[in-house]
Amino acid sequence: MEFILVGVGILACAILALSTRRLLISAIWLALTSALVALLLYMLGGPHIAVIELSVGAGLVTVLFVFAINISGEEVIDVKSVLPKPYAWGSIGIAAGLALYLILKTLGIVSFAEEISKTSLINWDSRYLDIILQVVLIFAGVLGVIGILTPGKSSSSKEDQE
Amino acid sequence: MTAALTLLTIGLPWLGALLVWWIGDKHEKIQHWSAVAFSLAAAGCAITLLPQVSSNASVTYSMGSVFGDYTFVPDGLGLFLSIVATSIGSLAVIFSTSYMKGEAQLGRYYAFVLFFIGAMVGLVLTSNMMLMFVFWEITALCSYALIAFHNDDPKAVKGGIKALVITSIGGVGLLLGSVVLYAFTGSFDFNNFLANSSLVPANVLGILAFGFLIAAAAKSAQFPFQTWLPDAMEAPSPISALIHAATMVNAGVYLLARFYPAFKAVPHWTEAVMVVGMLSALLAAIMALVSNDLKRVLAYSTVSQLGYMVYAVGAGSVFASQFHLFSHSIFKALLFLAAGAVIHNIGTRDMMAMGGVGKKMPFVQAVFAIGALALAGIPILNGFWSKELILEKGLQQGQFWLYVVMVIVAGLTALYTARCFWLVFRGEPRSEYHTHKTDLAMKIALAPLAIAALVSWLVVGRFSVLLGQSLPYHEIEPFPLKELFHEVISIPTLIALVFIAIGITLWLLRSRLTAFVDGLKSIRWAADNSFGFEAINGAISRSTQSLAESLRNTQTGHLSWNVLGIIAAIVILFVYIIVGA
Amino acid sequence: MNIPTPLVVLIVILGLAGIGLYCILATRNLIKVIIGLQILVKGAVVAFMLAAHLTQNENFGQTLALTIIVADTIVAVVGLALAVQIRLRTGSLDIKTISTLKR
Repeated sequence: MEFILVGVGILACAILALSTRRLLISAIWLALTSALVALLLYMLGGPHIAVIELSVGAGLVTVLFVFAINISGEEVIDVKSVLPKPYAWGSIGIAAGLALYLILKTLGIVSFAEEISKTSLINWDSRYLDIILQVVLIFAGVLGVIGILTPGKSSSSKEDQE
Repeated sequence: MTAALTLLTIGLPWLGALLVWWIGDKHEKIQHWSAVAFSLAAAGCAITLLPQVSSNASVTYSMGSVFGDYTFVPDGLGLFLSIVATSIGSLAVIFSTSYMKGEAQLGRYYAFVLFFIGAMVGLVLTSNMMLMFVFWEITALCSYALIAFHNDDPKAVKGGIKALVITSIGGVGLLLGSVVLYAFTGSFDFNNFLANSSLVPANVLGILAFGFLIAAAAKSAQFPFQTWLPDAMEAPSPISALIHAATMVNAGVYLLARFYPAFKAVPHWTEAVMVVGMLSALLAAIMALVSNDLKRVLAYSTVSQLGYMVYAVGAGSVFASQFHLFSHSIFKALLFLAAGAVIHNIGTRDMMAMGGVGKKMPFVQAVFAIGALALAGIPILNGFWSKELILEKGLQQGQFWLYVVMVIVAGLTALYTARCFWLVFRGEPRSEYHTHKTDLAMKIALAPLAIAALVSWLVVGRFSVLLGQSLPYHEIEPFPLKELFHEVISIPTLIALVFIAIGITLWLLRSRLTAFVDGLKSIRWAADNSFGFEAINGAISRSTQSLAESLRNTQTGHLSWNVLGIIAAIVILFVYIIVGA
Repeated sequence: MNIPTPLVVLIVILGLAGIGLYCILATRNLIKVIIGLQILVKGAVVAFMLAAHLTQNENFGQTLALTIIVADTIVAVVGLALAVQIRLRTGSLDIKTISTLKR
């Protein structure tokens, strides 16, 4: 039960650190995240590391951040990210989803995958190269689409080699 | 003793390279003379090794189980090529003392020349496949550095890079071969492989054979890789004489000759080799006929004669090809050095601006004439004996139509040689030029080569014994002088001589044949564009560049895109794990 | 309901890693990138400790986690120093402006 509380606290603080526009407030949220993580580490049975994490994460690193932010000065930066937002959400989501699936499968909680596609799993075992090919194709396709849709001059300096 | 001599033959030029570079460009005279001294010393060591030829390794350094043993074997094939490399190397260096007088950055020049000589000797003396590859690439590097010696001239740099790229493609074939050899025989030493070629399974042997053929063709500028040699003529003339006539381009022929016993049983390999040789000889002869650049004509003729040697290996006579290699090194180096003297004097390579040079430079005309007669295959000179021997062996081997083409090429050779000689040395000057006397150094370099071109064929008996005794897997029979006479003075030779005579007469009667020549205009146009090979080269390089330009769009330089790539890789990893490896 | 502890902690780790990576992906301020890196590494530390807890090897896990924290702190120090220098030299911390790769 306590784990759930601490866990929710950690995630909330991290999200707040992420979404704040002012850098100093972001550093403060990071310090708070560090403190809660130190608590979690203590609950997992590592008192020494909890102390170290607290003093380093919530102390040293935060002070460093405050110094750096003060020296470099807060400036107004356009919020619009370089990457189109869907890519960011999408990739993280897919990665997290897959990892979640792996976790659930390893912990034995989820077993429906096995029941559903036993036959197709057997097929994949022997058609192993196909999977690799498909992955490569998908990767290449994504790269290609990104390349085509990226706005920017297509610099083609055709140096004549002859 | 043998070990010390072997190491000296390779090490002395390298030591000389370091020394010349260290001396610095302020002391030009010392640089010249130390370079000459070191190359002559290396030649001396190589010749001293001659009585100690054997098929046993003279030097063995054990480098552990991964790299095998670094062995050097002074057998007949290797020793003969190292003598050629060092002797002609020292003559070219002597010539350079006059040709390169007053040039900037001489230290770089001599260092690379000496480095090259040492590497070439190492290449032919070693029996460790990996070491051979290393030396192969060193010679390619030195060739590039020397072609692009005048590195403020974009044409020279382009020619150098082209040579480097094409010969490196060949080097890949060699590397593949050495790795396969190691995988199947457990060691890098190819003598084990030559003794028993069934160590490697048949299909892999086929891949190995054709891979080596490609490597040799790329290095020796054979079809379809012949485009780099003419562009390499931007190099100074001594370099063209040394590297692109007498030594480096022979490395490909050496490779084929060395591995012939292992590959001759591979189906269609010998035919492929003969066809490659024939095509190179034919195409290069036609291109030499229409070229107006003196050194280009000689470059094409090198390709053509190498085609003869490759053809001989394919026809089964390694001895004939090596004999022709010996003669060719001598007369081609002679021709290039003489051409260098002419170009150095007159200042241009364009034959159409020359003419009547013979009156001003009689010595050079005489030696060039000797070289030209050897190239054309006129009796008594060494070129005649070796070329006729190749033709005889080719006839004996079987494929009649290949033999016919080679005889026609012999006629073409005579034709373009006569044309070249006439355009440069005879007739009236077609433009204003000034000449001065030929330097003593140039004469000292040219004279021994001319004498050798007259008499080198006399050693054929000892040469065959040298090769036969120390190459246990090649089965070379002793071939005394009498046998040479017997083989060569026969009907096929007379027919070939008739073709050569036709070639020379065609040139002498050229004014009456203008109508005929005009009819061949389309061939002339094709030959000028090197039968489309330059176009292929250009297309390949352009397409590679455009592919690189379009792939450049993936390199945005923004952190976010790079991290996206990382996350994409993580996703792929997860998928891989989930689906089950 | 009885959600096992490892699952909760694993979800926390996943969340931390995801938020850290998202922060690095979707921000334009260089210092925010370093903050995101810190969050990511915290997730890694918790992961190590969880593994140590599950295999009753807590002391060994603490040693490993110590190494990670030290490494990560050094990265943060050097990264912040770089960020400050970049700000002083080019006057901006925007990753789009400071990227000088020729397109």
